[in-house]
Amino acid sequence: MNSHILIVDDEAPIREMLRLALTRRGYRVTDVASAFEVESAVRHDPPDLIVSDLQLEDSDGLAMIAQLKKSHPNVPVLLLTGVFLDPEVVHGTLGNQITAYLHKTTSLSKIMEEIDRLVREKQA
Amino acid sequence: MNDPTIRRVLIVFGLAAVAVLLIATVTVRNLNREAASSDWVNHTHAVLSELQSVSANLRAGEASLRTFVFGGGRTDRLATRDAFDRLEEHVGVLQALMRNEAQSAQADNIATLVGRRLEFANSILKENPAPGDADTVAKLARDNGLAAIAEIERAIAKLRDEQMTLLAERDRLSVIHAQSTRWTVWTGVAVNFLLLAGAVWLIRDDIAARKRVAAVLAEANDQLEVKVRERTQELATANEHLAAENLERRWANEALEHQIHYNQVIVNSINDAVFVLTKSLNISRINPAVVHLTGYDAPQLVNRPLNSIVHLASDSATPHEQLFDPILQALKEGRDLRDLPAETEDRLKRRNRVTLTVFPLQDGAKVVGGIAIVRPLHPLTSAS
Repeated sequence: MNSHILIVDDEAPIREMLRLALTRRGYRVTDVASAFEVESAVRHDPPDLIVSDLQLEDSDGLAMIAQLKKSHPNVPVLLLTGVFLDPEVVHGTLGNQITAYLHKTTSLSKIMEEIDRLVREKQA
Repeated sequence: MNDPTIRRVLIVFGLAAVAVLLIATVTVRNLNREAASSDWVNHTHAVLSELQSVSANLRAGEASLRTFVFGGGRTDRLATRDAFDRLEEHVGVLQALMRNEAQSAQADNIATLVGRRLEFANSILKENPAPGDADTVAKLARDNGLAAIAEIERAIAKLRDEQMTLLAERDRLSVIHAQSTRWTVWTGVAVNFLLLAGAVWLIRDDIAARKRVAAVLAEANDQLEVKVRERTQELATANEHLAAENLERRWANEALEHQIHYNQVIVNSINDAVFVLTKSLNISRINPAVVHLTGYDAPQLVNRPLNSIVHLASDSATPHEQLFDPILQALKEGRDLRDLPAETEDRLKRRNRVTLTVFPLQDGAKVVGGIAIVRPLHPLTSAS
């Protein structure tokens, strides 16, 4: 069974491009736009990795991740956002919530490599 | 038809067809002759049988007649009559079987001789003498019967010998025809076999050449298929790369637009008036707070000198010197100027006291412009 990636982003073009790139690499992909949809998506088909934006349609991405971690503490989360965050702040403050952080200006190939790495780590 | 191989094959098959036609013609002719010969043989056997019957009934009749004359009764008379009737009947059949004048003449001769004997016998039977009647015995004694019978037998033997000779001759012809048929058939088979062998010999080089050409074509096809597969694979790979590059480009554009929008939102959300300056201190961009502060729209401000809107609050220099010298100097040196007292002049020529902070805008080590932040000291009434 191929690894399952859950994409959480309020921008449809971003979701569509991530879905296309991940599908080409052989992943199963589910994408949602809101925190409300995340819970049912995770319950229906638990992901091997969550790729989430910081800004969602109905909530803050970090709040959604904190809530999700209560029920699924072992699911790795890649925070992919257009908001510049200080890496030290990310690792220090958010380290227990998110597994990795990438800015959206990062190239798609780099993002895919990071996703591959995180999935491998999860399966190891 | 320009193909020499096809022409050769057609010629050989034409010759084979002619040979088969000849064989069939000769064989059918021989079979017809065989059938005619068989008919003649049956006829000859019929003639021989009739000659045998004539001879036998003649002897039987003569014997019965003598028995009747010398002491026989009614039974002998009837037997004599019966034998001579059958004799007459067989002679008639014999005459009917004759197929040429010579044979008919011989049969007629036999019929004449037999007729005399019938006439003699009928004369005795008509008198119906008593057994041992002296006159009848004398009549019988005078009759030269044995000589007549011998003459008939000679005539029969002559005709029989002729028939036997014909039979032998027809047997010989029949054997010759059968042999001819066998020779014709086997010769035809041999000729056809030779023709086919010749055809194979004639086209063998051509077949070999065609096989070589077919092998070369098959190899060329295989190579072509391999090349097509390789090219298809290359195209598919190139297509995948193009699609990936296209997706990467779309992603970069989307990220850039997102980032520009995000930065715009941040700048526009700042409550202080923000001027983005060129290295010459001309205004290149403003936020909405500047419009609120000055009453000018962005198109009216862009590319204007900053000192046409903001003046440093100093009485010791000209407005130009007051504004540009320290700011230009600070930008060149990459220094910040913070919270300098200054004044702005709005579209309605009203002056407002503000603080001015200037940061150099650096791309790496190079100063490419500056950011000026103007903060009113007192709440303002909108000038727009």
